[in-house]
Amino acid sequence: MHTCCGSYSRLLLRTIYAQALVLAIFSFSFAADFNVTSETLFRSFERDTKSGSDELVLPGYEYLKLDVDRITNQSLSFHAYGWVRHDFSDSSYYPEESDGELIYAYLEYAGPKHNQSLRLGRQHVFSGVANDALDGLSFTSDLGDLFSVSAYGGLPVGLADTAGQSGDVLWGGRLAHHYRSFYNIGLSYQKVDNDDSAVTSKVGIDSAFLLPMNVGLYGNSVRNMETEGWAEHVYWLHLLVGNFSIRPYYEMFEYDDYFDAGALSGGPFASLAHSGETLDSLGLDLSWQQSPDWTFGAKAKSYSYEVNETSNFLSLSATWSGDYLTRVGGELGKMKGDAADNDYLLVRLFFYLDHLADKLWVDFVSGDGLYTGYDQEIYGQDYAYFASLGAGKTFIDDALQIKLSADYSKDPYFDNDLRSMLTVTCRFGAGQ
Amino acid sequence: MIINTQSLVLLLLCLTGLVVACSSPQPNTQLQDKHPSQGDLGVKPLMCSDCHDAQDQAFSWEQFNHTAFFPTQHRLQANQHQQLCSMCHQRNFCSDCHATRVELKPSLKNQSETFRQMPHRGDYLSRHRIDARIDPTSCFRCHGNPQTAKNCVKCHG
Ligand code: HEC
Ligand code: HEC
Ligand code: HEC
Ligand code: HEC
Ligand code: HEC
Repeated sequence: MHTCCGSYSRLLLRTIYAQALVLAIFSFSFAADFNVTSETLFRSFERDTKSGSDELVLPGYEYLKLDVDRITNQSLSFHAYGWVRHDFSDSSYYPEESDGELIYAYLEYAGPKHNQSLRLGRQHVFSGVANDALDGLSFTSDLGDLFSVSAYGGLPVGLADTAGQSGDVLWGGRLAHHYRSFYNIGLSYQKVDNDDSAVTSKVGIDSAFLLPMNVGLYGNSVRNMETEGWAEHVYWLHLLVGNFSIRPYYEMFEYDDYFDAGALSGGPFASLAHSGETLDSLGLDLSWQQSPDWTFGAKAKSYSYEVNETSNFLSLSATWSGDYLTRVGGELGKMKGDAADNDYLLVRLFFYLDHLADKLWVDFVSGDGLYTGYDQEIYGQDYAYFASLGAGKTFIDDALQIKLSADYSKDPYFDNDLRSMLTVTCRFGAGQ
Repeated sequence: MIINTQSLVLLLLCLTGLVVACSSPQPNTQLQDKHPSQGDLGVKPLMCSDCHDAQDQAFSWEQFNHTAFFPTQHRLQANQHQQLCSMCHQRNFCSDCHATRVELKPSLKNQSETFRQMPHRGDYLSRHRIDARIDPTSCFRCHGNPQTAKNCVKCHG
């Protein structure tokens, strides 16, 4: 039954175990701080699969996080996070019975000055135009009070399946100039090669200016160096007026430059790169902290195109905050435009009641309800319901947490779908 | 030999950075590892400018206020001040929404955390057809490579 267990996930498991072992040795020999968080999820639902209808699917997930701080000294640490999944039923729902991914695993050196850090290993890099996972090296540092720099390079994890990872390289960096809170301007560059053929190279400018009256002006522009065109311009103001946060913005995207990423943009985005489409949006986000307990939000956005038909979106939300994480709230959203198949109404109501231990046996109960109404039917249905209920309790000073939730949906894709999930979170550590 | 030139450029960049940074006689503006008042956080909506003076010279604080729209609009703040985020957030916090392959969407993995503002709540398979037609640009930031689009290709080829 376990024969099709992919060699990939076995490798992953082995990697995690090997790391755990190395870390254990590290932490004993150098008196490092050692923290492990294990999150185990058991889900159950029914699906029609190749081998039959309404087959029970029982996937179990393990998310493991390791943090080792102060290896040898203050500055050196190791961090890893990954997951594996195994289907405990005989269903053929998943293409592979077991699967997994190492999300990050890196050694970090954090310098004592200038916000320096050096990371080696698998990591996710956010840096101007970069939002990528890589197996490699990254470095950030302040250069005095006025400049900071970051640079990274390695094998792109996102391309692992296209002709192997061996010829792929991703590298780039960002140089920023800033003066106190007054401004911060970053110039970033990124290049990705997929087996020696340039896939993408882009340049980005990110900027923040503090104007008088505490008004902030922010924005990003990205230029595609392969197509030699501007892919996006996104600019907004941020004003704080009393208890109101106001954010008017303008966005422009040139699809032929934005989605053109060579072999990167397969799948759902492939056709967009040659659509000649331009999207212009104007919008306003509003958040009103009426009192410490009540927050109101509003969002209005208009979309206009070169080719497509225009649309508008409006949403209103209200949230009441009680003690701890207690929240009760709702949201109402409406998408409406010239094409009826783009119109929908969205209603959400939710609650999360926290710190109930002295009243109930559980610590929290939670609930969520969503309704979407479509102007035009999707697979013969013009609405979708979703409802979820959950509860949880912690034991042994938060070292163990158990959560149980169930959800129900009736929508164009699933008719009367009932799913359940049990989550067990354990935290343990040593050191200090 | 393209790899070698690039690695060399990168190495040089890193080294220059290190040298300049270590030799510049500037005051130490190092950020702390952990935000000092962990206990107060998460109790009420998190407005940095409630505790931090908006006129403070170090940052313009209100841009980090966790308002109703911050969960979808933290792009620039995360890029320009990433070390600030990690003063309060665990390293894997971002990975639920930003990772190369996670299989479970964020609102499913953390299903009982209904107080959070996570993308794709409820029946997203139907709704995504519309959202993606109207504005596919944000989708591309998170699903724009073969690994992050792995669950899409069963329908999108
Ligand atoms: C409940 C009050 C409170 C809130 C809300 C709060 N902080 Fe703080 N913060 C503090 C206190 C107190 C200190 C310690 C002050 C000091 O060291 O001068 C601090 C220190 C900091 C520091 C360290 C300053 C330095 O120079 O090293 C940073 C950075 C910071 N906070 C960022 C934030 C951000 C960003 C937010 C919003 C997401 C935030 N804080 C929200 C109370 C708060
Ligand atoms: C001072 C501590 C603090 C700092 C600094 C901080 N956060 Fe947060 N963040 C929180 C807390 C606490 C919550 C949960 C608050 C709530 O639910 O109202 C949160 C929530 C969030 C959420 C919403 C998650 C969800 O699912 O609703 C996002 C996204 C987020 N933070 C991103 C960031 C980014 C990006 C930065 C850096 C620019 C940052 N945060 C800096 C404390 C902080
Ligand atoms: C609850 C989900 C969620 C969490 C948690 C979260 N983000 Fe985001 N993030 C988003 C969404 C949604 C967007 C919006 C994508 C868009 O429209 O640009 C985004 C966008 C971004 C972008 C811009 C990406 C790009 O390609 O330009 C960056 C950078 C970013 N987030 C950093 C972070 C960091 C750092 C953290 C952790 C401190 C974090 N995010 C946590 C949901 C999340
Ligand atoms: C902040 C990052 C982020 C953004 C922005 C984002 N997604 Fe996702 N999305 C995820 C993650 C993480 C998952 C779960 C893992 C997976 O399937 O890759 C997911 C899952 C999905 C799924 C599968 C949902 C299901 O119920 O199985 C669809 C469909 C989807 N996204 C479409 C979109 C579309 C369309 C957009 C743009 C409107 C978008 N996503 C924007 C992160 C994001
Ligand atoms: C269950 C099947 C299914 C899955 C899974 C799926 N999609 Fe879709 N997607 C569709 C359908 C059907 C449409 C509507 C096509 C149309 O209107 O022509 C669509 C439309 C889109 C569009 C608009 C395309 C256009 O040309 O305007 C984008 C972008 C998109 N999906 C992205 C994604 C992403 C990203 C994922 C994975 C995270 C994903 N989809 C997963 C079925 C799916």
